[in-house]
Amino acid sequence: MMQDVKINSYQFLVLVILFTIGTSILTVPSALATGAKQDAWIAAIIGTGIGLLVIWLLITIALWFPHLTYVQMIEKLFGRWIGKALAAFFVLIVLFYASELLYYFGLFLNIHMMPNTPMVVLNILMAGIVVMGVRLGLETFARTAEILIVVFFAFFFILVVCLSPEMKFENIQPVYEMGTKKIIQSSIFYVIVSSVNAVVLLMIFPSFVNKMKQGRKTFLIGNLIGGIVIIIITFLSVTVLGIDKTAGEIYPSYELTKRINIGNFIQRIEGLMASLWVITLYFKTTLYFYASVLGMAQILNLKDYRPLTLPLGMIAVVLSLVIYPNIIYQKHFDDTTGNSLTLSIGLFLPLLLVVIYAIRKRMKKNEIEI
Amino acid sequence: MIKTIGIILIAAVIVWIEVPPLLEKQYKKELLVFSILLAIGGGLSITLFGFEKTIPNPFDLLTFIFKPLNDFISHFLK
Repeated sequence: MMQDVKINSYQFLVLVILFTIGTSILTVPSALATGAKQDAWIAAIIGTGIGLLVIWLLITIALWFPHLTYVQMIEKLFGRWIGKALAAFFVLIVLFYASELLYYFGLFLNIHMMPNTPMVVLNILMAGIVVMGVRLGLETFARTAEILIVVFFAFFFILVVCLSPEMKFENIQPVYEMGTKKIIQSSIFYVIVSSVNAVVLLMIFPSFVNKMKQGRKTFLIGNLIGGIVIIIITFLSVTVLGIDKTAGEIYPSYELTKRINIGNFIQRIEGLMASLWVITLYFKTTLYFYASVLGMAQILNLKDYRPLTLPLGMIAVVLSLVIYPNIIYQKHFDDTTGNSLTLSIGLFLPLLLVVIYAIRKRMKKNEIEI
Repeated sequence: MIKTIGIILIAAVIVWIEVPPLLEKQYKKELLVFSILLAIGGGLSITLFGFEKTIPNPFDLLTFIFKPLNDFISHFLK
């Protein structure tokens, strides 16, 4: 029941794009502008480059076991008990991330659109559609993504065109003032948020995509397109708002849309931008949640993952209200432990997998020779 | 009190949706995992909304465990 799901490579491309843009469109411009000042857009370009390297590593690992998901790979390489423990850690962290994104969604709507509604209601609404998407299955939400990506790029195009008259190039001068070291350091956060997190996509990548060889290219192209969107958003934020405003705002790209003013007639279209976020956030949350539910079902060798969705959705809503007591805590956590967590599941664990795979392969070869 | 009743009602609806198909197919293990997760979810929600007690934050524990790695990464970034 779990294995006969297949999506085609275009649907996978769309999911990768939406996943890469995901939360980066919210948080990355301000994080980059804090470190790299007016060179934030260069940092975004470098970050996309480093991100592609990370994705290449993930693809290499994924293609060793074309019919297994990430959780099954870990179990196969590390043996039963250590493998199950590491996989359980991965699943737990991914569930925390799903509830983290519920928090982002609730907080954003609470601050900017519906200040009188309690945050828990917004979280439950979002969790409701996420659970619904996961219950209907990967194929269904991949097709939804196929439709909504058109809406996303149409709105994004409108946004860029409307903002282009407001750009002031004085804001990014002098170019390259911060130096290579500072720029690379500040791009690390962006690499972590949008590329290292893509390890979650290994839960669907080789096993549920029908043409594997194309899927390899698709993963890289999707990440690149997502990266370009982030580069454009960062560039616009810095040129339109200036460095201090971009670094100081929590949601600089929302502030950006408030500046749109064409002939004193087209104004205040920030609702459009909000819909861009809701689309990307929804798909990122759904992929996280899908990965955690499917991973949990595979660790416990269940025949179907669907019975777990509703109770886990309930847990995710509670967690989304508990994990961040306030926004200062969230900022601090994202800068410190959030990075370590993502790096440990998305970079150190795959590197460990590479080492173990090499050792086991060598041992097998020796056995044959003997 | 009314919140507790509401949460129990939601849990009852979830049981009503999920359990009959599981019983029909005789998925015993799934039923067990489902009940444990639902008990955890319901318990946490009732503690948080019904009794209005605070739940310990899992991220505090993770921050404690990952402190050495955090220090290493921030050292590397400075």
